[in-house]
Amino acid sequence: MESVCLSLFLKAHINLMHWAGLGLVGISPVQSLVWECFAAVGLFAGNLSPFPANSTPFLSPSLLVASFPANFSRLPFLLPLNLTWSDGQSAMASNGHSSPFGQATPNGNSNSSQTPRRSSRRRTNNSNSSPASSPFPLETPPSRPAGVASTPTTSRRRGTRHNPNATPSTPLSTDDAVPPYSSDRDENDNMETDGQDDTTPVFVWGTNISVQEVNGAILRFLRHFRDARSASESSEAADLMSEGKYMRVVHRIMELEGAESLDIDAHDVFEYDPDLYNKMVRYPLEVLAIFDIVLMDLVARIDPLFEKHIQTRIHNLKSTVCMRNLNPSDIEKMVSIKGMIIRCSSIIPELKEAIFRCLVCGFYSDPVLVDRGRINEPTRCLREECKAMNSMSLVHNRCRFADKQIVKLQETPDEIPEGGTPHTVSVLMHDKLVDAGKPGDRVEITGIYRAMSVRVGPSQRTVKSIFKTYIDCLHLKKTDKSRLQIDDSVNHDANNNAANHEEDDASLYHDKIEKLKELSKLPDIYDRLTRSLAPNIWELDDVKRGLLCQLFGGNALKLGSSGASLRGDINILLVGDPGTSKSQLLQYMHKLSPRGIYTSGRGSSAVGLTAYVTKDPETGETVLESGALVLSDRGVCCIDEFDKMSDNARSMLHEVMEQQTVSIAKAGIIASLNARTSVLACANPSESRYNPRLSVIDNIHLPPTLLSRFDLIYLILDKADEQTDRRLAKHIVSLFFQNPDNSVQEVLDLTTLVAYISYAKKHIHPVLSDEAAEELTRQYVQMRQRGNTPGSRKKVITATARQIESLIRLSEALARMRFSQVVEVGDVAEAFRLLEVALQQSATDHSTGTIDMDLIMTGISASERTRRENILAATQNLVMEKLVTGGPAARALELLEDLKKQSSMEVHLSDLKIALSTLASEGLVVFHGDTIKRI
Amino acid sequence: MEESRKKSSVIPFNTNLSPPFKGMFRCGRERNKQIIENTTNPSIHLLKPFVPKREREREMGGPQYDLLMNPLGAVRQTFEKAVASSQPSDLDPTAVYRGKDWGIVDVLNQFLFSQGGLAQVPILDASSLKWIKPNTLVRFRGMVQDMLGNEFYIGAFKDGCTWRTNKFLDFSPFSVPPASETTLWERHLFHCVPVPGQNSWAIESTPYPLKINISNEMTCQHGEKRRRDDDPDGISDFDCYDEGSSSSNKKQKDCGSASQHKIAEITNGSSFPTNSFSFLVKVYDMPESQFKLNEVVEFIGIYTFDPELTTSDRSDNVDDDMSMFDFMDDVATHLPPSKVPRIHCLVSQKLSTQDLISNSPACEPLPNVIRGIRDSLVSYLSCTLGNDVIAAQCLLLHLLSKLRVKSDAASVGRLSLNLTGFTQESSSIFGKQLNNAIKTLLPYSHTIPLTIEYLNTAMLQPKKDNESGRLLMGALQLASGTHLTLDETVMQSGTLNSKGVENVLLLKHLMEHQIVEYDFQFYKLEMATEVQCLIISEAKSNILPADLVVPVCPSAVTPVSASEEQLHAWRWYLATVRSLPHSTDTSICEMLQNEMVEAMRKDRSLGCSDLSRWMTMAQLMAASFGEKSFSVEHWQMVKEIERLRKERL
Repeated sequence: MESVCLSLFLKAHINLMHWAGLGLVGISPVQSLVWECFAAVGLFAGNLSPFPANSTPFLSPSLLVASFPANFSRLPFLLPLNLTWSDGQSAMASNGHSSPFGQATPNGNSNSSQTPRRSSRRRTNNSNSSPASSPFPLETPPSRPAGVASTPTTSRRRGTRHNPNATPSTPLSTDDAVPPYSSDRDENDNMETDGQDDTTPVFVWGTNISVQEVNGAILRFLRHFRDARSASESSEAADLMSEGKYMRVVHRIMELEGAESLDIDAHDVFEYDPDLYNKMVRYPLEVLAIFDIVLMDLVARIDPLFEKHIQTRIHNLKSTVCMRNLNPSDIEKMVSIKGMIIRCSSIIPELKEAIFRCLVCGFYSDPVLVDRGRINEPTRCLREECKAMNSMSLVHNRCRFADKQIVKLQETPDEIPEGGTPHTVSVLMHDKLVDAGKPGDRVEITGIYRAMSVRVGPSQRTVKSIFKTYIDCLHLKKTDKSRLQIDDSVNHDANNNAANHEEDDASLYHDKIEKLKELSKLPDIYDRLTRSLAPNIWELDDVKRGLLCQLFGGNALKLGSSGASLRGDINILLVGDPGTSKSQLLQYMHKLSPRGIYTSGRGSSAVGLTAYVTKDPETGETVLESGALVLSDRGVCCIDEFDKMSDNARSMLHEVMEQQTVSIAKAGIIASLNARTSVLACANPSESRYNPRLSVIDNIHLPPTLLSRFDLIYLILDKADEQTDRRLAKHIVSLFFQNPDNSVQEVLDLTTLVAYISYAKKHIHPVLSDEAAEELTRQYVQMRQRGNTPGSRKKVITATARQIESLIRLSEALARMRFSQVVEVGDVAEAFRLLEVALQQSATDHSTGTIDMDLIMTGISASERTRRENILAATQNLVMEKLVTGGPAARALELLEDLKKQSSMEVHLSDLKIALSTLASEGLVVFHGDTIKRI
Repeated sequence: MEESRKKSSVIPFNTNLSPPFKGMFRCGRERNKQIIENTTNPSIHLLKPFVPKREREREMGGPQYDLLMNPLGAVRQTFEKAVASSQPSDLDPTAVYRGKDWGIVDVLNQFLFSQGGLAQVPILDASSLKWIKPNTLVRFRGMVQDMLGNEFYIGAFKDGCTWRTNKFLDFSPFSVPPASETTLWERHLFHCVPVPGQNSWAIESTPYPLKINISNEMTCQHGEKRRRDDDPDGISDFDCYDEGSSSSNKKQKDCGSASQHKIAEITNGSSFPTNSFSFLVKVYDMPESQFKLNEVVEFIGIYTFDPELTTSDRSDNVDDDMSMFDFMDDVATHLPPSKVPRIHCLVSQKLSTQDLISNSPACEPLPNVIRGIRDSLVSYLSCTLGNDVIAAQCLLLHLLSKLRVKSDAASVGRLSLNLTGFTQESSSIFGKQLNNAIKTLLPYSHTIPLTIEYLNTAMLQPKKDNESGRLLMGALQLASGTHLTLDETVMQSGTLNSKGVENVLLLKHLMEHQIVEYDFQFYKLEMATEVQCLIISEAKSNILPADLVVPVCPSAVTPVSASEEQLHAWRWYLATVRSLPHSTDTSICEMLQNEMVEAMRKDRSLGCSDLSRWMTMAQLMAASFGEKSFSVEHWQMVKEIERLRKERL
């Protein structure tokens, strides 16, 4: 009896499968019925080949497998099956094998009475408390009386129900479409002879899967699996007390009304029972069917009144397949695949059951099941009194439909080999999965890879030898979403996750992270990163270091109470002679930071950079459109030709660069938009070429308010240097002469670099160590003093509070590069060096504010400066000694003589004059021609 | 059994694609075999099931199929032999041949390359398509335009107790018995088009008269067949087959001029627009990424065309049952067989430009021969440019340039040229001459007029159409080695729309990095391309940055003429020299470095790009004389050219 029910269940499935066009269409209905029986017998027959090989045409294993239940809206059929089983069990308990019409069967098929069902459940529950000792319903040996074959017929007549609301038993009870039970009976007879032995295990056809084994394994898994390992040791009795992970989930699902599926992590399955995992992956159709049965039974035991069908959804398989590596051996296997949805079909309502009404007498037919994609319209009214011919018409609103959708999945760019085009695969979505993903989503899909034969034509029964393949989707996971979760788990201020490198999934992988960590431990990682940044741009190492700092960024800080925030983004301005590859650097940075926007100053207006308000021409509504800065929120906004930008436009940047917001008050919209962006701007000096006679500020010619907002201002000067020339020449020659493989330095490729940066940004949040803080203070004070040297003019960029902020940011970025959670003294020192180098400050004459080009050429600035400082100090002393305020003037030559006497070094008149002029500017002396007067 | 099949998931490296001339171990036995079935009408043959009796015959006689007219016969024969030779204990003898050749490729290689059969294989193109019969062996040269993924098919199945194969077939000629053992195999689909911009001299085609031979063969075939039809088995086979087949096949059988009928059918049923002529090539047993996009490949395979399939495809769309699966339809349905014929590839070979030069001179690239050809070519080029020798020299170097090394850091070897000084009028003379010269010298060339209108409207970027699942060809989807001429003289001032800007950026990107971004809607994919770019403009083009800018100073308009022989020598010269390897001679490294430093000291404006251009030019200069590495002499020549060029700027 059980197997009859099961055969019916399979029939129902196969019907569905046929409907889905999955079956072999070339087979006559009778033949296909024969298979159905085979399929049924196959599941239950004790041995692998119950038939003499040539007696009946039967399917090859692969085709049979293909004909197993295909869709995942499978539960309606499982429930009745389940019911009959449990009932059958009870019937068997009392009647043994001889019960021809198990009285419970009709009960099972008519849900109208709940009571007997519940009682039978309870009984099942008792007998099944230990899966190992007491056989699960499915295990019941296939031997049964021949008379049972008529059971379905009975149930069909009895189970006349008009409720369109998909009660579980409906499909079974209305299985009109499958008429000849004779063949069924044959098979049953056949089976009887085969399976007299009660202990014969039940195998799934053509496989070594023992149904009861799998059954038990699943039940054990569902009950006992706990995330903690200790769970596996708990005893039978303890099971009832403490619940496993999935038992808890099942309970939760039952409490929640909406939930209809149980997500099962395949990793858990593997951990608990690798054998079950392997079986599940290799024979997913069979194992999943059993999975659902077990689950339903489990649910029914907890709450027999629970009506919903919970489906198992497996996800997170141990290995994902690359789309282009799918091959015939993957068919009918469970696969996990990553890709991007490129196209979704509209939702296809899939007719599951049709109800017909007689136009003559108004008689409603039983729901008619879909059979091989067709509904068999009754040709005559079924009511005895009417029997009108061709009177039945479809009642649309009483039919039952299910949602279906076909989605095209395409390979993501990282999986495509060079010179290839992305592959696509079709994915079939059912019910809840419909519309779960939209075009453009990156998803990971777990499903069953299937093939479907193509008919030559609708009229022809012949089948093309070609198969169409698709994936029957079990579970869909948006990979973008998973990254968000990781972001959340970091539990840090969202500001820190600047420049989300959306393109980069790879960094999520553990091994990849390990690799990155390995990289970070390299002693020369800083240099290596520098080399990897824009490797095609020659030299400019310090500029690259600065840009690297910009990419890594500092920590943004939110001052809790006031709500004020300190930006972590580093802004950089490149000022330099034409042809020093500034734009190329910008382009490269733009490429490296996918969130970045590249604009040119000349073509950008203020609103284009920030945001603008327009009126929708149709509705008249005002619409806020974001500009480049807002669009590059958490990225890098590259602005070329910064100097060519109108002042008005440039002034928009003030807010962005410090407050990192864009405020809009226009046309009824008052808004503040986030623009947490690093600005990378480049400009030419005010006279196109750097003019050494002018001060740095005059050369840059940008308002100081804006300038101070740049953390680093690089002066890229094109200076002649034979050393550099020679290096360049050598580099170019080597490009042509050497094997390119040898000349390649150890450079991170672009993707690794991006992954490295994004990982560091996400996970590394360095904190200043005490020593580093001390060093920072010390250096800052020093710098401030230098900037405030009494002789300096306003034209020198002085150290301000902003400077110390940028120094902190830079040192944080430097620590991040090493994946270090602590900012060390070395980082601070390097940050200072970068800042110094940036403005070529080592070469800046602080008294005039100009860059001493000679100093750059000769490179003696450092020693020269100390010498001058010494002379200055000596002169000052001398002046203090010799001269009295308002006293008589002294001659410079006299002073020189005295100075020479005092100090060991050689002093020239010019040196003295410089020193004196400095003193003069300090207001200590008055210096006229050759005479010096102290004031 | 099922287990074992599922386990063997790795597709072994096949022998199918081994280069020609290799692996001919099977030859001796085949040659002696008596011809029994070779002359059957192949299309009928295809559909006719075998009977044991004939098998016995074959074993006794050992038939040799006519590979040209009935390659499928050979396919079947070799398959059956292979199956027969397998272990009887083996439950599934075909498992061995999954993703593997069973000997047919060897037979074919033997026939094509050692018995000179290659010349007899007709080349399939728009014109020959009309008279080439389906299920015969054809040759097709084309560019891989799109990759359509793979297709699963029933590779082998058991019909009764014999194994049959569907390999190299569109659909099963025998209806697969419903409950037979079958095995699934896979094949790869490529959409191939004639190489864009292929110049007429480089197109090889089979002359039409060959048709007469074929129809002659046809008649004798039928004679042969009738004779064989005396065999009662054969007749019964035909009868039972005819019942299920379409009437067209019947006609073919009855009427002696079947080929004419076929032609009529093709031409009536579906017109072949010659401009959108393309093929769907099915490649078997292919190792991973055998072909790359935009590669030029020669396929030798079986051309199939089945009217039955065409009709069914049409009705499929109407059929309600199938409509919901339309969405799932693979791309192939958008390429109906009536418009896009299928080729089942047996042998394939990637083609380089050199392969297109037919019967190249048998000489080794001797320096003096090369020098002679070079001199004549330079004078020819200078003629086309109005006796401007310097421009001609630069043009020659440009024509010989080829991307050698490409990394993130640098691309070495490319030399894009910008010829300036053309006005509307002068470009109408010299531009035309230049274009003609390039067309006659290079196998693939393409000209893009850079008008505002063109830029604003043209689709330069290849784009994936996700609706149909196909890659739409953009103008920049070019085979590697194509020469691209951009004519900027026609450009007027005007406004570029967003598409125009995109197109310009695309061109710029191509020139700078030799990369074209393909649009896959949700992301862009960079495809490496190898295209020589030549820009003709009035003044230095600021839109498209060329490596070398040469103002042309034409002095006289001279009529350009060249004999066919000369042209041939030049083509050979360009193709050969371009493909010569460059070797390195480190002895002059030091000298070069000194020269460069010196030059930089003199001229501060010299940059990285100038220096590497000099190096490229010097290398190309050496190559143009047939030498592998350059010497001081070549360096000096380049410096001289540079000096003269600078004077003109």
